[in-house]
Amino acid sequence: MIEDSEREEIEKLLPWYVTGKLAPSDTSKVERFLAEHPDALSQLQLIGTERQETAHANEAMGWPRSGMSDRLMASLPDSVASSRGHGRFAKFGQFLRMPPVRRAQWAALAMALLILGQAAFIAVLLTREPTYRLAAGAHADGAAALIAFADDAKASDIARFLANFEATIVDGPKPGGVYKIRLRKPDKSQPDDILLSKLAEHRDVVRIVLPSRD
Amino acid sequence: MGAVADEASLIARIAAGDAVALRVLFARHHVRIYRFIRRLVRDAAVAEELTNEVFLEIWRHAKSFAGTAAALTWMLSIAHHRAISSLRKRREESWNEGAACALPDAADDPEVAAQKRDAGAILRRCLDALSPEHKGVVDLVYYHEMSISEAAAVLQIPENTVKTRLFHARKRLSELLRQAGIDRGWP
Repeated sequence: MIEDSEREEIEKLLPWYVTGKLAPSDTSKVERFLAEHPDALSQLQLIGTERQETAHANEAMGWPRSGMSDRLMASLPDSVASSRGHGRFAKFGQFLRMPPVRRAQWAALAMALLILGQAAFIAVLLTREPTYRLAAGAHADGAAALIAFADDAKASDIARFLANFEATIVDGPKPGGVYKIRLRKPDKSQPDDILLSKLAEHRDVVRIVLPSRD
Repeated sequence: MGAVADEASLIARIAAGDAVALRVLFARHHVRIYRFIRRLVRDAAVAEELTNEVFLEIWRHAKSFAGTAAALTWMLSIAHHRAISSLRKRREESWNEGAACALPDAADDPEVAAQKRDAGAILRRCLDALSPEHKGVVDLVYYHEMSISEAAAVLQIPENTVKTRLFHARKRLSELLRQAGIDRGWP
């Protein structure tokens, strides 16, 4: 039957119609069919439920154990261990690999410099985006994260990002351009991981998002 | 710089031996890769090991990244291949489809019985009971929100096969739900 095969062809496209990932020509085809066959609309609800429960099942798995990144780095060939990269990322990586004493010395120096750096950074943000506030009003009972901004992120984008997440910079910049932020948890029962993964989705603004211990 | 170009430049730096760029790529994507693998292999420890192997492969073969597809598509393609190979090596138990969606029985305690009756929980159990082939395409489309062409690139199959595979996965899901006592009226 021609109608049966047409229905099957449309039903095969419906999951992408629901996720908004269908090509425009196929979208028109689906919408024409749905207009002529309203009984097929019930499929959209089924797919919506399948999608919701698939997301639920994935999110429920949580995060892998911490330390995976270090295990990965440790498994790289020794030949690259002493020459791992270049540029600002590399300097950050070298800093992390320093012996603790040297790292502490550098941290002390960095602390002195960061006060100046942070003041300048805040001044830029405050003058460009009055909604941003440092420390005052930080969500003490919210989530904490370590983030580094994307190299090409504009100050206005950063300010908007912080405002959207009701986030406040409470520390930084640390070596490597890393800042500690506190942000509001809209749902207190939700694990921090889910909130952090939402931060990480803004790749145009942040390049690193890591959990913070406090 | 767009996200795609940014990731391509990150992979170019990895190809040049920049291990810190690998760490950044890892920080961005390892959770997504881990979840995709774990859904297929159903073992957290194996999934962690395979996730690290995926990033090691990226380290070794970053030069072969063509840049024509998104980096995530490329990474998920490696992850899918690793997960399926691992399942074959482990001679994974035959997927006992249906068992996970079982109806409550008299031996269940009240909490378990209530959970078995919850429609959302039943649907999740039936999704979990799908074969790796079906579960892979379901996750790519519903969770990773991939287009038909992106899913085809990850699974390395033609686009029409992607559409047919998801269609059959959904039909199989309906069968499993029916066995669990839920008739959703399709197909």
